[in-house]
Amino acid sequence: MEDYQEYIESGRLEQYVLGDLDPAGQAEVESWAARFPQVRQELDELQAGLGVYAEAHAVAPPAGMRDRVLSRVLAEIGSAENATPAATISNAPLAAPAPTMRVSASNPRPAETYAAAPAASSRSGWAIAASVALLLSLAVNALLYSRWQQASSDLVAAQNSQARFAQTTQVMERRLNSTQEQLHVLRSPQEYKMVALAGTPAHPTARARVMYSTKEHRVYLDVQQLPALPAGKQYQLWALDKGKPVDAGVLAANTAAGDSIQQMKDIASAQAFAMTVEPTGGSAGPTLDTMTVIGNM
Amino acid sequence: MSDSPLISTPPAAEAALVERLRTRDQSAMTEFYDRYSAALYGVINRIVKDEEEAEDVLQEALVKIWHSMASYDNSKGRLFTWVVNISRNLAIDKIRSRQHRVGSRTQGLDDSLAAQRQAAPDTFRPEHVGLQEITSKLVPEQRQVIDLLYFGGFTQSEAAEELNLPLGTVKTRARTALKILAKLIR
Repeated sequence: MEDYQEYIESGRLEQYVLGDLDPAGQAEVESWAARFPQVRQELDELQAGLGVYAEAHAVAPPAGMRDRVLSRVLAEIGSAENATPAATISNAPLAAPAPTMRVSASNPRPAETYAAAPAASSRSGWAIAASVALLLSLAVNALLYSRWQQASSDLVAAQNSQARFAQTTQVMERRLNSTQEQLHVLRSPQEYKMVALAGTPAHPTARARVMYSTKEHRVYLDVQQLPALPAGKQYQLWALDKGKPVDAGVLAANTAAGDSIQQMKDIASAQAFAMTVEPTGGSAGPTLDTMTVIGNM
Repeated sequence: MSDSPLISTPPAAEAALVERLRTRDQSAMTEFYDRYSAALYGVINRIVKDEEEAEDVLQEALVKIWHSMASYDNSKGRLFTWVVNISRNLAIDKIRSRQHRVGSRTQGLDDSLAAQRQAAPDTFRPEHVGLQEITSKLVPEQRQVIDLLYFGGFTQSEAAEELNLPLGTVKTRARTALKILAKLIR
């Protein structure tokens, strides 16, 4: 037995309701729906969902459109109604002569052949002209087709390169923003106080600095030199407010390596900053014996 | 706006209208217009993004619906589903031929991204609660997929490429979104 559940999951039903299938695909979906009530139900639900979505976008057409559109539509369908009987009538005699002609062609009468001869030669002249025209038109079509193909593949290539370019631009924009932000921090001594963090006796060469805006409560960290970390550990910055440590966030690897300035967590108030080594992800409280650098404002 | 959603119109009322359209009752066309034009025009307008062109497409759609009425099969779906599909296909044909003409498919990128960004203010109509309710039910990623598939005329694979997502993700999002929407009318 075929697995209707698998068919439901296949995405074919969504394609069906979105009009994304050729007639063969549509027939396939319809036959599944006819055989399995579960598929039918799923299909109905998807259709209803799409209907809700379509209807949610309903817009009252602009004023005046009702009369314009309705009168044109009624005129068109009215004239088509009148034209239909006429068309069927004029179609009838067109269809009728065909068998007669076939009879006469397969069973020609001598008199008619004689009369038809000059006509045939002028007709063959026309036929040659028509063939030449057809050949020319085929050649031109082939040429235009190949140009069109070329143009559409050029277009695809251009689209791809545009997409790539847009992505690069986005990345560059993001980098530029963060660089500008860092520059602003470094260039605003009134706004950002520099707090030098010096190495503790255990790590005399360690050095870093914190830029702290007391007004905006923002904290940036710039590392000059920190000892390499054992695996599974991460540096964590702490603000000391009235002697109490407040988590200011963990350092990204490139920050710890001194490659970039990192914005840390906002700190409401602090008199000193310190850094400790904590398990990756940070700790709730500092492990004091791993303190690497510290500095007062 | 109609207070009873078209998608959940009682089948009997729908069948009566279908019957009148089939018997070539021209007054049924007027009634059809009054019931369905806002929904059809909304979809068309969202696809072609041009009022004048939307009006032309709506007119074309109505004529086509009138002439194809005989082929409508209510066992395959609701009248609304059928007519909205006809309108949507005509609208998508329109933008495709336009794209061919001026090669504006190059705008693919800005088009879709910009459309996403503008979607909210563009379509916000305070008198219409439906769209807001829907916006709150779908996450933006689902809406983005449905918009591309439904209003952009993208196939699932084209949408996957456009959004830089695996095809499977596009399929899942489309399916989840449609199921969420279907629940709204229960």
